[in-house]
Amino acid sequence: MSSTDNKESVLPARRRARAGEGIGVLLLRRLRDGIITLLLVVAVIFVLAHVVGDPALVFSPVDASDEEVERIARAFGLDRPFWERFGSYFADIFTGDFGESWWQNRPALAAVAEALPNTIYLTLAGIAGAALTGIVGGVFAGSRPGSLFDRGSNFFSISALSVPNFWLGLLFIVIFSVQLGWFPTSGMFGVSSIVLPALTIAVVHGGRVFQLVRSATVEEMSKPYVRVARSKGFPHRMVLWRHVLRNTGLTTATIAGWEYVRLWGGAVFAIEWVFAWPGIGTLTINAAERQDFFVLQAAVIIAGVFVIVSNLVVDLLYRVIDNRIKSS
Amino acid sequence: MSALLEVKDLSVSFETRGGVVRAVDGLSFSLGAGESLGIVGESGSGKTVSSLSILRLFGLFDDVSVSGKILFEGRDLLRVSEAELSRIRGGKIGMVFQDPLTSLNPVMPVGEQVAESIRFHTGASRPQAHRRAVEMLDRVGIPDANKRCEELPHSFSGGMRQRVMVAIALACEPKLLIADEPTTALDVTVQAQVLLLLDELRREMGIALIMITHDFGVVAATADRVLVMYAAQPMEHCSIHHLFQRANHPYTEGLLRLVPRFEHQVHGRLHPIEGQPPALTEEIVGCPFAPRCSFTLDRCKQERPPLFRIGPDHESACWLAAERAERETLPDKPWKAV
Repeated sequence: MSSTDNKESVLPARRRARAGEGIGVLLLRRLRDGIITLLLVVAVIFVLAHVVGDPALVFSPVDASDEEVERIARAFGLDRPFWERFGSYFADIFTGDFGESWWQNRPALAAVAEALPNTIYLTLAGIAGAALTGIVGGVFAGSRPGSLFDRGSNFFSISALSVPNFWLGLLFIVIFSVQLGWFPTSGMFGVSSIVLPALTIAVVHGGRVFQLVRSATVEEMSKPYVRVARSKGFPHRMVLWRHVLRNTGLTTATIAGWEYVRLWGGAVFAIEWVFAWPGIGTLTINAAERQDFFVLQAAVIIAGVFVIVSNLVVDLLYRVIDNRIKSS
Repeated sequence: MSALLEVKDLSVSFETRGGVVRAVDGLSFSLGAGESLGIVGESGSGKTVSSLSILRLFGLFDDVSVSGKILFEGRDLLRVSEAELSRIRGGKIGMVFQDPLTSLNPVMPVGEQVAESIRFHTGASRPQAHRRAVEMLDRVGIPDANKRCEELPHSFSGGMRQRVMVAIALACEPKLLIADEPTTALDVTVQAQVLLLLDELRREMGIALIMITHDFGVVAATADRVLVMYAAQPMEHCSIHHLFQRANHPYTEGLLRLVPRFEHQVHGRLHPIEGQPPALTEEIVGCPFAPRCSFTLDRCKQERPPLFRIGPDHESACWLAAERAERETLPDKPWKAV
């Protein structure tokens, strides 16, 4: 009909084609990508450990002679050619054999499996707090830019995300545990233990969620359809809930998802260590201190799996929400 | 007849980084029920800001100061409470905006976007409002409105979306419709359709119209009276017949010469007005058009001309019209500046 029509129909047509492929195909595609990424992660860990570093040296006592190191290398099969070692390493890992922990005298995977639920518990509690404060604050601040609340919360969130998370954790311990005695300083004993580490995550990551949600909201508020909604007589709150949030919801969910991935990417490890939380982070650092090669390796791979899985879930959720918005 | 809308000495200025911008400076006009007024001007002449100030729909991030009065059914819209304003916006005054492609919420079905306004203003139940929305969409010419109301805006063309906007603006049968360049973003053929539709519906429903545009063709098709604005100030205010037959203000004449006409000059050239409009951040002394006008008097550079009444339905802000204003009792005859 008109030129605007033609220009208009090009993009949505492509989007529709992709939207038509269904959630199953998307899942398969993302799974394929995830597996490829995982293979790369495992390969990189091998290269770092076996090519850049020398496991035989790691396994040997500090004062071991060259002959002793060589003997240890032979005992662990480290004298075999590179590709042979690489192959058996892959085979072991994908059959679930991550080696034995010397420090704990049990399979490395068992040590990791024991720590894993604690880290999941902490990251979920932390991200829930971060999403709640970041999203609610970001939406309110972004809907009235320049207001007192906006400037106050903006300052607070900038400070929160500028501070190293472990330092903030220590600060909380000093204030809430040592001075006020409200919560235990460390460990995992009952519900009160999780408050401080989860709060630390909520503040630091909530600060970042706040920034992104705020700017998404500010951008959305200046779009013409918002003025149209206002011209219908809707009060500010209604414009926000009925119109703006429906458009920023998707971005917001994705932002929270990314922050969760960041946690697994290492941010939670430092917090666990500060609070002596018996999760993967603490396990990893302990293993590194004790030169427990296999536990370290297992922990890093499992954390990698969680980064990949979280990414996958975020992606799928994005699609599910997108479809629901589009079809409601 | 008491006026439906009376704008008295409206001035609007924005605080920006570049300084204070006077977007509207001393604008007055009135509009009776069912009447239509075209506001014409170049971009930046203050026509859009004037229309937005009627509903106080400034940007959320703008630092605005407004003075003057905007009386709607006797109440000053610049001073009514938020709650009161909320009932007037969309209820008694509807508005159609410039860009139909971005004016609809991209993730809300179009029917719902019409219905939500009906529900808000009339308290109708969800199914009732939905039925009325479908009726309204049908009335503005959306084919298959019953089905298409469930679709999202992206499956509609620009012209169809502007029809939806018209349906939204008229859904609650307002007393006044403000249309801010409703056809600028549309193709010419579609423009004509949308204008025709607007004009038809507003006449049927007895709605007064303020048509903001830079296009004299649009004014000719929809307005009874015209207000020409330049550099935030009103220049000339007259009936549509006066405009095309005996425009008084040199600026209006200049604008009219810019409308290409086949019958006059097949190989003719357009004569643009020399120079540029003044920056609105600077204080304007005298007539804002003086630097570009070919009839400038000394007085024009020093003193701002008020709107002189030069005929029964004709006002012009030009010192050249001052003399004519005194002779206003004389019978009308074609009158030219110089």
